[in-house]
Amino acid sequence: MRSLLLAAVAAYLIAAIHSILAFVNKRRSLQRVAEWSTAAGFILHTSALVADWVIDGHYPLFSLREALSFLAWALVALYCVVLYKYRTQAVGAFTMPLISVLTLVALLIGTSPNAPATFSATWLFPIHTTLLIFAYAAFAIAFMASVMYLLQERELKLKTFGAIFHRLPPLTTVNELATSAAALGLLLLTLGIVSGVMWSSTRFGRYWRNDPKEIFALLTWLLYFVLIVYRLSASWRGRSAAWLGVVGFALVLLTFFGARLLGGYHVFG
Amino acid sequence: MSILLVGVNHKTAPVEIREQLAFNDEACATGLRQLVDGDVVREGLIVSTCNRVEILGATASDKLEFGAGRIQQFLDTSGHLPPGFLEAHLYRHTDEEAVRHLFRVASSLDSMVVGEPQILGQVRHAYALGVEAGTVGRVLNRLVHHTFKVAKRVRNETGIASSAVSISYMAVELGKKIFGDLKGCSVMLLGAGEMAELSARHLVNAGAARVVIANRTEATARQIAQEFGATTVSLDQMDQYLGDADVVICSTGAPDFVVTAELVRKTLERRRNRPTCFIDISVPRNIEPAVSKIPNVFLFDIDDLESVITSNIREREREAERAELIVQSEVMQFQQKLRLMDFGPSIGAMQQNMQDIAREELARQRKRLGPLTQEQEAAIEVLLMSTVKKISHPLLNQMRRFYETSEPEPMELPKDPFEE
Repeated sequence: MRSLLLAAVAAYLIAAIHSILAFVNKRRSLQRVAEWSTAAGFILHTSALVADWVIDGHYPLFSLREALSFLAWALVALYCVVLYKYRTQAVGAFTMPLISVLTLVALLIGTSPNAPATFSATWLFPIHTTLLIFAYAAFAIAFMASVMYLLQERELKLKTFGAIFHRLPPLTTVNELATSAAALGLLLLTLGIVSGVMWSSTRFGRYWRNDPKEIFALLTWLLYFVLIVYRLSASWRGRSAAWLGVVGFALVLLTFFGARLLGGYHVFG
Repeated sequence: MSILLVGVNHKTAPVEIREQLAFNDEACATGLRQLVDGDVVREGLIVSTCNRVEILGATASDKLEFGAGRIQQFLDTSGHLPPGFLEAHLYRHTDEEAVRHLFRVASSLDSMVVGEPQILGQVRHAYALGVEAGTVGRVLNRLVHHTFKVAKRVRNETGIASSAVSISYMAVELGKKIFGDLKGCSVMLLGAGEMAELSARHLVNAGAARVVIANRTEATARQIAQEFGATTVSLDQMDQYLGDADVVICSTGAPDFVVTAELVRKTLERRRNRPTCFIDISVPRNIEPAVSKIPNVFLFDIDDLESVITSNIREREREAERAELIVQSEVMQFQQKLRLMDFGPSIGAMQQNMQDIAREELARQRKRLGPLTQEQEAAIEVLLMSTVKKISHPLLNQMRRFYETSEPEPMELPKDPFEE
């Protein structure tokens, strides 16, 4: 449903602008507007996805357009959880613009080819894709939290105490946020890969294809596994862990977009 | 009625003059009774703090100059100063300017440290004294209540008081920036100087759970420890306790480094790399600067703290600009309110005049009407009164509108055309 998605984009843009203004001006009233329009956008976006599902007859996560739109939706969902749990409004100033752009691009791509029956017929495939999209969204949040950590840590170490110092959330909070987001991402990624392997084996009798996307996904998994293990063993936190969160996200981007360029089995409409 | 404000503050007068003028609670009450005579100065209020002595008064609009002179004279005599001595230090504000000044003072925009929270309490106290002395009337009552509202708005809507501007409070701000919430944090004081003690008090107020004090002389440490329920240890035992501390405040006065990078590295292992905030307020420094290079450790020396304070003051000044806008719009609102307050009673008087005229006319003609039933009498009364009301209503409305929008002489009431 394009009109619903258009309305969602409008709501997200309002939320993005107000989040940024709230971040810059530190005003609670602006933040409230941002949160309400995020909620409105989320409801509109959800209805757009449901409408697509009903009208097109397949789970709305297959083509690039659908993937982008779904990714934005997953990001909004996770952002709401972050806001509720950590009260770190600053995250919105980073997340909402990204969400707006993703949804807008999805809107501009327009129509997309229908998924072949092979994919829509089984229930494992949509589970595989949904899990992975949510994993990417979680990694994106972990990435943003890591960047905020690095910026805030730099301010504290260099004692510059500029505008960033006054506006970013405390170190421990963003550190915790980055850790739990990365852990959630890793869990979802694991389940996503497992469900993909299961689907592939029941469908084609093959577990693994050495497809670029699969290889990148495995590398991503390894990297975040190392990150989480080190974080949990606690000897490793702060800056180096934050840097790993940033590098990990580069791998995530490669998995999501880069694999398209390299071709292979995982490239759809 | 006009509002009048005469006074001195830290910008216009040195402390020698301010202390001469200052009023304690008792002097305030007697002074107010002496000043407010119900004629020239109809209402009065004295705000006396260490940074300012200001007298707020309400006078009739045509006695403004006279009233200001009276207040100045009053300040001269109460401060035992030769007449005219204060001329160079005093400021006088009237009406809109006086309102704006009071709003700015209560919102802490006129303070030495912009955004400091005490001044509002001091204005509140001054108001209570004025009420007790019976010198606060209709006008000042409204004004002071509006002032409280403005101060609250400024506090809530701007970040004017959100960042620390004193060394002792800096520990709280830095701790919050690192740990988020100070609840459950433990604090360690190395050396129990006055500044360290003050910092610890702020940290405990902000939620810090545990305080450990290590001092060279244990007696001093124990004395301070009682206040916080803290543990005291000797400086030699410091190493064992350092690992538990999230915030360490150092002010031992030792001639060289008490905390070395090597020691911190070791304790950090015990802490499993949980971040630590070291604050070194001693000169010469007691914490080795190389500590700052260790990951997850944040070290601030006295110069760093000063630079944060400078940055925070700049941040407050930015917020103060927004606060000025709030004050501006509130001044306009209050002026409107004040004018209506003056206008309300005069409208009532005008209506009363018109009704009296109608009744007089009826009394003169009554004989010619002959005997009437009670019902008829009442009907004539109703007829007259409703005629007066219907004719005067649009006229008075127009006057009110004209009065509300007239800018240049806001305090001058429209003349009652029925008077004389």
